[in-house]
Amino acid sequence: MGTREEMLAMLRMMMMIRNFEETADKLTLRGKVSGGMHNSSGQEAVAVGVMSALAPDDVIATTHRSHHHTLAKGFSAREVMAELMTKATGVSKGRGASMHLGDVARGHFGGNGIVGAGMGIGMGAALGIKLAGDKKVAVGFVGDGGMNTGRTWEAVNMAAIWKLPLIVVVDNNQYAVETFIERVTAGGDLPKRASGFGLPASTIDGQNVLEVKDAVAKARDFALAGNGPTFLNAVTYRYYGHNVGEKGQYRTLEEIEDWRTNRDPIDQLAARLFADGLLDQATFDEMTASVEAEIKDAVEFAENSPNPDPADVMLNVDSGKLRG
Amino acid sequence: MEEVFIPALGMAMEEAYLEKWLKHPGDAVNAGDVIALIETDKAQVEVACETAGTVGKHRFEVGASVPVGETITVVLAPGESE
Ligand SMILES: Cc1ncc(C[n+]2csc(CCOP(=O)(O)OP(=O)(O)O)c2C)c(N)n1
Ligand SMILES: [Mg+2]
Repeated sequence: MGTREEMLAMLRMMMMIRNFEETADKLTLRGKVSGGMHNSSGQEAVAVGVMSALAPDDVIATTHRSHHHTLAKGFSAREVMAELMTKATGVSKGRGASMHLGDVARGHFGGNGIVGAGMGIGMGAALGIKLAGDKKVAVGFVGDGGMNTGRTWEAVNMAAIWKLPLIVVVDNNQYAVETFIERVTAGGDLPKRASGFGLPASTIDGQNVLEVKDAVAKARDFALAGNGPTFLNAVTYRYYGHNVGEKGQYRTLEEIEDWRTNRDPIDQLAARLFADGLLDQATFDEMTASVEAEIKDAVEFAENSPNPDPADVMLNVDSGKLRG
Repeated sequence: MEEVFIPALGMAMEEAYLEKWLKHPGDAVNAGDVIALIETDKAQVEVACETAGTVGKHRFEVGASVPVGETITVVLAPGESE
């Protein structure tokens, strides 16, 4: 399970991500975020559970919905918020916006707007790790929608035959825009589908951060021992629309309310820590206040940061070798 | 005081057409009440408030093209004024 400090850190990280997302949602509606934004509220335990089991050097590759992964990986609220506002101080120097957060040097191989592509990138990272003989793993995140695109399974297949140190994590919020997973997933059972490639595969409770952490820790040991990939289907739920501003009518308010009140990942961990005597009200209030201050500071930092210099427009577009 | 504004609803949305005011200065409103109807490139959208209170001045007239993020009116809590 981990020490008290580790568990409080997980709780605080989930609270920070929630506050970040709800704040960023409002800023997006106000027109301050360019390029669209996908709110991950409700899915914090998947991100925090995974990152808590990884070492700092381990690599992740993610999707269009990646703020939670990025913050949990250790990127600051300041640099992520600044990137959402496409400021020069952002993670990607203001050139990527919400969907292209990443920094290869820090083991984050990026988010991207192509459904399923994160898996291919994660698999490539795992191949690189294996070729270099490094003692680390790569995590490829994919959504439930990405479970029904071919490239995902090409990557799983290669990882399996080459025994690559890859952990496939389905951030399964059960909807691909307005499409409920059960309507489009033949066979209905994702781990069963993955098992066909001969790798360990299971469904885990994506609202239980400790369960996610344990499952990823096992998968990591398995990969480091040279046994190859693991497939984890983490069932979770997104509280907001697919992208900010979307108010679809494809699910009931009762369903959303049920997940929010009965299965919220933050509430569940807090309740458990209170019950185990590891958390008291004063500490919890202090954490809430410090998270609020951190996000407020991040917004101020982002708003006061400069835009990228137009003179640098060609920077990082290509290798630079073709220009004089 | 809650600012009621034109929400950015799409990646390329820059402004909206103010089609109709459903609540007027001095009207009492509840959280979730629709204050105005706007039209984007793609759809008609209801702009609702999040808090209860009294509607303030209309800052734009019907027919105006209002930039994204711009406040169109406010909802005043008891005792507040514009
Ligand atoms: C190859 C490709 N096809 C379609 C789209 C349009 N699209 C963007 S997000 C999305 C749904 C993705 O659902 P899921 O994988 O479950 O991720 P979630 O949004 O739920 O996090 C679709 C179809 C895309 N970006 N890329
Ligand atoms: Mg999904």
